[in-house]
Amino acid sequence: MLAAFANPVFDSQRTFRELLQAMARPASPRALPILPPSPAPIAPAAMAILLTLCDATTSVWLQQPQREAVEHLRFHAGLRLVEQPQDADFALITDAASMPPLTSFARGDMRYPDRSASLIVQVAGFRSEGGAHFAGPGIRETESLAIDGLPWDFWQQRAALAVQLPLGIDLYFVAAQHVVALPRTTRLLES
Amino acid sequence: MYVAVKGGEQAIARSLELLAEARRGDAAVPELELAQIREQLRLGVARVMQEGSLYDEELAALAIRQAAGDMLEAIFLLRAYRTTLPRFGYTQPLDTTAMRVRRRVSGTFKDVPGGQVLGPTYDYTQRLLEFDTTTPVVVKPAETPLPSNMPRVLDLLDAEALIERIDAGSDPEPMDLTREPLMFPADRATRLQNLSRGDEGFLLSMAYSTQRGYAESHPFAGEIRMGEVDVVVCPEELGFAIEIGSITLTECQMINQFHGGNGVPPQFTRGYGLSMGEGERKAMSMALVDRALRCDELAEANYAPAQNQEFVLSHSDSVEASGFVQHLKLPHYVDFQAELSLLRTLAAQHAAATDEQPLSVAGGEAP
Amino acid sequence: MTPSYNFAFLDEDTKRMLRRALLKAVAIPGYQVPFGSREMPLPYGWGTGGIQVTAALLGPDDVLKVIDQGADDTTNAVNIRRFFARVAGVATTEHTADATLIQTRHRIPETSLREDQILVFQVPEPEPLRTLEPREAETRTLHALADYGLMHVKLYEDIAQYGHIATSYDYPVLVDGRFLTSPSPIPKFDNPKMDHSPALMLFGAGREKRLYAIPPYTRVESLAFEDHPFEIQRWEHRCELCGSGESYLDEVVVDDRGTRMFVCSDTDFCGQRRAEAQA
Repeated sequence: MLAAFANPVFDSQRTFRELLQAMARPASPRALPILPPSPAPIAPAAMAILLTLCDATTSVWLQQPQREAVEHLRFHAGLRLVEQPQDADFALITDAASMPPLTSFARGDMRYPDRSASLIVQVAGFRSEGGAHFAGPGIRETESLAIDGLPWDFWQQRAALAVQLPLGIDLYFVAAQHVVALPRTTRLLES
Repeated sequence: MYVAVKGGEQAIARSLELLAEARRGDAAVPELELAQIREQLRLGVARVMQEGSLYDEELAALAIRQAAGDMLEAIFLLRAYRTTLPRFGYTQPLDTTAMRVRRRVSGTFKDVPGGQVLGPTYDYTQRLLEFDTTTPVVVKPAETPLPSNMPRVLDLLDAEALIERIDAGSDPEPMDLTREPLMFPADRATRLQNLSRGDEGFLLSMAYSTQRGYAESHPFAGEIRMGEVDVVVCPEELGFAIEIGSITLTECQMINQFHGGNGVPPQFTRGYGLSMGEGERKAMSMALVDRALRCDELAEANYAPAQNQEFVLSHSDSVEASGFVQHLKLPHYVDFQAELSLLRTLAAQHAAATDEQPLSVAGGEAP
Repeated sequence: MTPSYNFAFLDEDTKRMLRRALLKAVAIPGYQVPFGSREMPLPYGWGTGGIQVTAALLGPDDVLKVIDQGADDTTNAVNIRRFFARVAGVATTEHTADATLIQTRHRIPETSLREDQILVFQVPEPEPLRTLEPREAETRTLHALADYGLMHVKLYEDIAQYGHIATSYDYPVLVDGRFLTSPSPIPKFDNPKMDHSPALMLFGAGREKRLYAIPPYTRVESLAFEDHPFEIQRWEHRCELCGSGESYLDEVVVDDRGTRMFVCSDTDFCGQRRAEAQA
């Protein structure tokens, strides 16, 4: 079996600080400091996030629950795997093109909007040129970013959720060593 | 010339030295040994374990000594230590029917199978100060040993279907209040966890209020039992249960009159209390408050403080309450300054308004 | 560093729980996330929420500043700084500009914060509606409906009675136009610093078991009425030590005849200004 973080206490602390900054400054790629070994189809950047945030008290849904990946996560993070997307605190999307609709995940309830899913989505890459414009809390004016490899109607699906705010889904996209967060409050501006 | 106050670090260091000296007292008097505290102050140890949520007599004794006998401080010390301990697993539910009973009394029947067993109690001591404790005590053993398994008094009523039935194993898996925040409305298992960690004095007063008309409860002490109960774990990798030791517990089941409601026929209902070690006052108080907090479930009028779960559960914890009451001694001068300048503005406005009007008019009520 | 405890005191499960809650807090600005607050070795009400948040953030590369009432040398600030130096062995500073993490009680530093800094607030009462509605079940519903009529009525009654809003600290703010939020008991003087702050702001209420966040560059409005706009405290005095006319001032009684003098509450800001004046 592959190893996990070499130094769990400090590796997860450093990873968390990048995730926190990513969530606080949406649509802006940040480099993750440590990329742990990871069995296919899980990307090392996604593994870094799972090891940092998940344990026996979190329920995780895997889009492609391949045996080696499942065993690796169970052994290193002890996390609880769930069958249904709506039961997941965290969901790992390893094939973005065929991901289930966003409405299959928990969006919280009005008194507790934090009881909602966080999605980790492995994508092909990020580009700042030719990207869409984003605004919202954490963004000074606007951020411009293109995310490659998402389903064609992804942004329509996400925009449809916006009417339910403060309910919603929070997203972490990973490509190579970078992470981009899009909390529910980030708006895609019409170009 | 004024210089901003400095030297907080030094002041703290000196204060800690003074505290250590005061705690130790006269160095000519031998220091208390933990075994003395554990053996001779066992009820204090029990309270610290119970409200500190950690069954460890040695650590509780250490906390009591370090806190110079301040029970709330000792409870806080134990809690702050407990919070850092990793969780290895959860035990099976404790079986108090299998308790090796040392005390068991019931206020509801003159005699019960197994009998009334006073055990070690302060109830009939006459409270005369004993100036001479040097005479050694010899305990006369009972002629017949107590039965190893005493039926619960409430189960006798259960056979007659006069008391509400709570089947073993029908409860949902409880949440862990030491790991998850309290949310409202809280279910009964969560409320009981909160009460079991709650301050004895607070619970005693709340329980007392239910006897004085602030929640109609008509309680009877169905059974109070104290003794040793085995602790059993079932590790996943073993697949079978193993006993890891036993602990002393005090359990109280109150019986309360209930006239029916929410589709439930008239019957007796239960209030439940459990405490580590010998903690009878705590267990009884807890049982009364538990029953009062069931008012919504039983469609009873909810009007008294002891029935208000937000009020009771939010204010029961001595570590929370003591910290927040005492935080007022921290500096608040920034906010006080804000209030000062506001008050000066209001006072100036008031003075200006009074000056403008003749006294006779100012005295009259404006519409 | 005390070796028998984990780095920064908390165990890793607890840190993960806090980290998940913090990320949700940032994703829902101003919303109070319930979390499994732990007993800390300092009493509830003395900064346990801020300490837990700081412990979840802290790494060996951080430089920590702790202030209480704006000052680094108040005993509780000293004690918290001492705690982290002991259980995490991190570098500490009194200079706002040198800190990566600042834990505070009751003030926001006068020196502007940067994007690479995080401000952690100690919060005694996270619920801005608590004094108007003590029941948590009710206030949750009011937040769900964004029904803040209670607070508007309270502020309006102030105006009717006193001619202006009589709240001088813990002055409620609306975050990103959605959640009514307690800025913690900072004086309202500091409220404008929260609006579009470059630094991330995190709030921890240990005893109440809630944490919340205001992301950087987020709209933070202090409640007001069109004919009664929000105003901050002003002094007729300047700081008698550094001469500042823009900082929040402490009033100090200097003799037994009640003579007062006014000095900066932010001791680092005041000290820097005096050092510059001397140079």
